[in-house]
Amino acid sequence: MAAGPYGALLDAVRGVRWPAARRVNGATLGAHPSQLRGNSSEFSEYRPYRQGDDPRRVDWRLLARSERAYVRLTTDKATFRTSMIVDASASMAFPQPGLDKWRLARELAVALAAVAHAEADPVGLAIASEPPTVFVPRARRSVLLEMMRALDATTPDGSAPIAPLVSSARAARIVVITDLLGDADAILAAARLRVAAKGEVILVHIVATEEITPPEQALLAVDPEHPSVRRLLDGAMRNKYREQFTRWLDEMVASSRAAGIRYIRVLTDEPAPHAVRRVAGETARRGA
Amino acid sequence: MTFLAPWAFAIGVLGAVGVVLFHLVARTRPAAYVLPTARFIPDQRSLVSRIASRPRDLLLMLLRALLLLVASAAFARPVLTPSRGTVGHIVLVDRSRAAADVAEEVTKARSLVPAGAPLVLIAFDSTPIVLRGSSWDSLAALKRSDAAGSLTAALVAARRASAALSELVDSVQLHVVSPVSRSELDEGTTLARRLWPGAIDMQRAALRVDSAAPAWRMSRPIPLSDPLGPSVATMTSGARGHVSQLTRGSLTAGDSALIRDGGTVVRWDSTVTTRMAAEGLAVGDDVIVATLGRLSIPSRGRVVARWADGTPAAVEEQVGSGCVRSVGVMVPAAGDLPLHPPFQRIVRGLLAPCGLVGAEVASDSIVIAAMVGGSHVMASARELRARVDYPSPLARWLLLAALLLALAELALRRRGPVEAAA
Repeated sequence: MAAGPYGALLDAVRGVRWPAARRVNGATLGAHPSQLRGNSSEFSEYRPYRQGDDPRRVDWRLLARSERAYVRLTTDKATFRTSMIVDASASMAFPQPGLDKWRLARELAVALAAVAHAEADPVGLAIASEPPTVFVPRARRSVLLEMMRALDATTPDGSAPIAPLVSSARAARIVVITDLLGDADAILAAARLRVAAKGEVILVHIVATEEITPPEQALLAVDPEHPSVRRLLDGAMRNKYREQFTRWLDEMVASSRAAGIRYIRVLTDEPAPHAVRRVAGETARRGA
Repeated sequence: MTFLAPWAFAIGVLGAVGVVLFHLVARTRPAAYVLPTARFIPDQRSLVSRIASRPRDLLLMLLRALLLLVASAAFARPVLTPSRGTVGHIVLVDRSRAAADVAEEVTKARSLVPAGAPLVLIAFDSTPIVLRGSSWDSLAALKRSDAAGSLTAALVAARRASAALSELVDSVQLHVVSPVSRSELDEGTTLARRLWPGAIDMQRAALRVDSAAPAWRMSRPIPLSDPLGPSVATMTSGARGHVSQLTRGSLTAGDSALIRDGGTVVRWDSTVTTRMAAEGLAVGDDVIVATLGRLSIPSRGRVVARWADGTPAAVEEQVGSGCVRSVGVMVPAAGDLPLHPPFQRIVRGLLAPCGLVGAEVASDSIVIAAMVGGSHVMASARELRARVDYPSPLARWLLLAALLLALAELALRRRGPVEAAA
């Protein structure tokens, strides 16, 4: 597979495991513990036979020794359909000219997809652009390459909504990579519904370091999605800006947790492999 | 170039400095910085005042400063500084009926002025004609006038012309080329002379030949106590040449003998008492208005003087080779009327022998000396400079330039706001 500029990143995240947060509901053999138990060869435990159990699962050898009927239980593994939803609004094209937020979002999407794909999970992609680009989750080998091409061909612009993509995603695990500067409330509402439906939603909040501490030459700040918003950022305003921005970040964390959404904030100065391990590692701990 | 009102230009310079400061200390909109989280900044004014090291719009600043400077220069009344000479000349050339030869006067005047010197020529009779620059040919082309000369008008014209000439030179020399006949002097001459702050170069020219009648004299002197005395006080008396004799009362045998010898007897009675009243009297070009009385005179003879209503005041009649003139003018015994030059000229005209009434008579040396002045110092240009406003030709062009600059500034300003560099 020609990974192009993502080669080093994929090498860095090779071996990272990203188990599901809870038992998955799937019949396809995969790497995640399934809610189904039965035919697997991996023994788990014995349970006294109950009426209705399949007689083929009774351990006859144990019955002969102890004259008690036990059913042999095994742990099934299943695949976990995962979809990446990437925010491609104008606010992601920041800071100029490096576009660090968009670069980091692309790398996280590709790396997380690669990690999931390595565990045989079907992975999909939805780019919140105008019009949106959607790849349904697939497990075939070329899916990563298609995702890379689609992301590389996209230029962040406009202010396309993300919430519809969250609602329509055909995956049990959804990773929303966004800066939450668009339809944040709608995203949280849609994610809350997915969580209620036993889905797993991970909100990766991309924050540029320049947004936390704007450079000194930024005297007149202009919102790229709303050019009419032009604000003066002098000394006194900087402090007020930091206060309001920090308060908003805290509100996003609280709202996400209240909705059962995993909230992970990633700054643009954090290496993408590290952020990927953080996402996957925390998930693993919670699932353990 | 210099300014007659430099304070106006100073104000313009201050304004230009203010414009430069205005462009340096200006409220500018800083360069826009794209910040996705700009919504978290409280909304407030987006203009800031700052001191820039470079003006925000150099072209507009220069245009505005230039506009102020040009406009103020126009109001400062600019004049081009001439190359100043040392001495300027004003020459008064008499072309009145008293002048014998105008061309000769022009030749004499030309010899007084160095070639190339700043010059104003004034030809005058009763009215002065100002010829600026070296217009000798034009002056020589002028013919003698039949009008009486007026030195007063000529001096006033010279004083007026000197104001402009004084801007070019340090000193001005006034030359008068004239026979200076008595008819050219009047009561205003002394005042006009005082207007000229320096000496006057008086160049006597010849009186007209046909008017320069042979000298005449009174057969006997008139006492100064007589009202007519002061008018002929400087004249000699005797029995040679053209002789005139004043007779109060009836003619005597001596009068008849004088008439027989070709003399003139003037019957001017002063013994008759009559009512005095304000009267106008004209003899030739001389006119007076004074308190006079009318006396009866013969109705025959040639009228030589008339009252203001046209009735004869004096007539003369040829008797043989002589002449008898009857004057019906009663002169008051008291008062200062005999001291007035116009009255004296009229008296001299009425006492003159027949045929010489109205003739030009040269002024005496006392008058000439008074005209020359006590010193021989030329008039200083500073004293001659007028305090009146002169229209400055440069001001018009500067105002036009200011108007064009204002239009350019308007067009440049409408070009749109200039974004300041970050």
